[in-house]
Amino acid sequence: MSKDKIGKDEWVASYQQRSAGIVGWRGALAGISERLPTWAWFALVIAIGVAIPMLTSNTYIIRVAGNIALMATLAMGLNLVVGYAGLLDLGFVAFYGVGGYVYAYLSSDFSGVHLPTGLTLIIVIGIGLLFGLLLGLPSLRLVGDYLAIVTLGFGQIFVQLMTSMTRVNLPGHERPVNLTGGPNGIVNLDPFSILGFTANTVTDYYYVLLAVMVIILIVGFHLNNSRIGRAWRSLREDELAADAMGMPTRQLKLLAFALGAAIAGLSGALFAAWQGSVFPGNFDIALLINVYAIIVLGGLGSLPGVIVGSVLMIAIPEILRNVELAGQLFYLLIIVTLIATLRPRWQSVALLVSVIVFGLILKPILVALSPASFAALEATSSGFVDTIRNWLAIPIEAKAVGNLAFGALILMILLVTRIKDMRVRFIALIPTLYLLSFVWETRLSQEPSITRLLFVGVLLIVLMIYRPNGLLGERRVEVV
Amino acid sequence: MMNLLELKNVSKHFGGLQVVNDLSLSVAPGEILSLIGPNGAGKSTVLNLITGLYQPDEGDILLNGQSLLGREIHQITRLGIARTFQNLRLFLNMSVIENVMSAAYSRTHANLFEIILRTPSFRREEARIREMAQEKLAFFGERLKGYRLDQPAYSLSYANRRRLEIARAMMTEPKLLLLDEPAAGMNPNESLEVTELIGQLRDEAGLTIILIEHDMTVVGGISDRVIALDHGVKIAEGTFEQVATDENVVEAYLGRRQENK
Repeated sequence: MSKDKIGKDEWVASYQQRSAGIVGWRGALAGISERLPTWAWFALVIAIGVAIPMLTSNTYIIRVAGNIALMATLAMGLNLVVGYAGLLDLGFVAFYGVGGYVYAYLSSDFSGVHLPTGLTLIIVIGIGLLFGLLLGLPSLRLVGDYLAIVTLGFGQIFVQLMTSMTRVNLPGHERPVNLTGGPNGIVNLDPFSILGFTANTVTDYYYVLLAVMVIILIVGFHLNNSRIGRAWRSLREDELAADAMGMPTRQLKLLAFALGAAIAGLSGALFAAWQGSVFPGNFDIALLINVYAIIVLGGLGSLPGVIVGSVLMIAIPEILRNVELAGQLFYLLIIVTLIATLRPRWQSVALLVSVIVFGLILKPILVALSPASFAALEATSSGFVDTIRNWLAIPIEAKAVGNLAFGALILMILLVTRIKDMRVRFIALIPTLYLLSFVWETRLSQEPSITRLLFVGVLLIVLMIYRPNGLLGERRVEVV
Repeated sequence: MMNLLELKNVSKHFGGLQVVNDLSLSVAPGEILSLIGPNGAGKSTVLNLITGLYQPDEGDILLNGQSLLGREIHQITRLGIARTFQNLRLFLNMSVIENVMSAAYSRTHANLFEIILRTPSFRREEARIREMAQEKLAFFGERLKGYRLDQPAYSLSYANRRRLEIARAMMTEPKLLLLDEPAAGMNPNESLEVTELIGQLRDEAGLTIILIEHDMTVVGGISDRVIALDHGVKIAEGTFEQVATDENVVEAYLGRRQENK
């Protein structure tokens, strides 16, 4: 039987060769990451996390880091449901909201109840499990898209209820009772306080959030490498086969929903304690999209991916608030993209030089043609930005021209992607890149709030084209 | 001797199509029973009825004298019936060893707390099923061993996928194994190997086997008994030689001979 002369599989036979084929710094990096045991990765995440408040006293940075930890915790809950069990749950944020509101009820003057935080958290987790089970029930009958729209409805109902339950007639009360605080939410919540430790500062909360994130990370990791994790993934791969192999699919789905909801509830409670208040708007669809973006970006079903995803999804929009930093990153990104995509490599250098020369020639011509349209630019605080702005031919009506240029840029990008001839594409890239920096300086850098969204959108689109499985996701195949 | 599995007057129709019609059959422990018949004869439907994917319209299905009707698929698996699928239903994005280990679900007991806390009993159980999975894979010689264990299932060749599916089914520790065309898509050498393997499964692992197969060398080489189906009706039963020469069977496969008057 072991005479392996027939049915030999070429793909498998050459597997190791090809996996060893990555050379250079990327190969070295891949080698290191493979050799590092899992606990070393945990230690690394914890070390970086713990070190942040020691390296900086800037509460803004610590607040952002806390937000990353919170979102990572929430996203790990979602990853359990969507990434492992493969259940497309679009009502997930409602559980986060339930956690937040339950915390608010149990630790504020709104209800007059002030329970110790430890007890509150246990209740929050219990209620999260319960709500997860209830919402999981439709998942037994619905699959895929149908489950998605039903759960989406539940998510919206939660926000609506929290907004509108301000005048509810209850038996035993003569006048309508305000149950949720409506759009004004519930404010002045008790701070997080457990085992004699009370969180007062941003740093305190950061450490609480980090600790919870690490605990959930370990829980997720242990679950994934167990009979339950394997059963969940089997369920995601092929429900019928999982059933036929003795896995009780209904129980497993309900368990995934309940555990995911409990984690979401816990994160919601921490969020409420940190913010000191809850409002219906905290749990709307924008947050849902953000959490989904995190797990999709990081790679569905990948725990390190969730961490990386939340760092990117939270940190990038924050970085883009700083115009100068955003500009530097923007140009760096362009250069890196060029170097990574153009072959042979000297082409990227030639292209950059060409663009610079193109700009230097274009500006005097435009100024000579229409001197009235141009004026000396006001200096900004950054020499880097000034240099670029002076290189570009920025007219007085920068806003209007910038809008036109934006349209032209989109057309150029579409054009460039359609051109097959490499030399023509190279030439077409020159004005495209010029337009890109023109649009950045006249419009994008001026309106960071829109640019942030645009940036994240472009990032997701590019990622989904080049790495549809997410940054750290495993390669996926559908039925072959 | 008591029959391991018994189908009593089982019928199943889909809409107006009668797929299985008043079928009775029984399998004794340690027996290898082959179901043959042309495409659409209802062979796979019989397997789906036994494993609980479908409920019969009439009749009863008994395992060790215990009715399987109304039970869920995973409960039936737990009672000791495992199967492979005609169209291969592996967990493609999971590793080879995980595919097999996942099927130990109903034979393992670690609860949520033991898993989250990684208690010693959980680790022992995990080590035990890993070892067991390797044992099951070792049934196939060198093919599914060593570095291949951690490769995703989609990287396997077609024949290896079939082998992996059998290993996965064995991991549920069945008494009765249902193989749905295990030699489909294999070359003659590999078919021969499958034939040997089925014999080993019975002799070494002590399994009772129901086999659906179109490859008559496999069927002839290993079956204790053969049942031929056509349009959901049993048209012949006996040894391979008896069934293969049966007039009805020949007619079902080739059509009626033109009488020369």
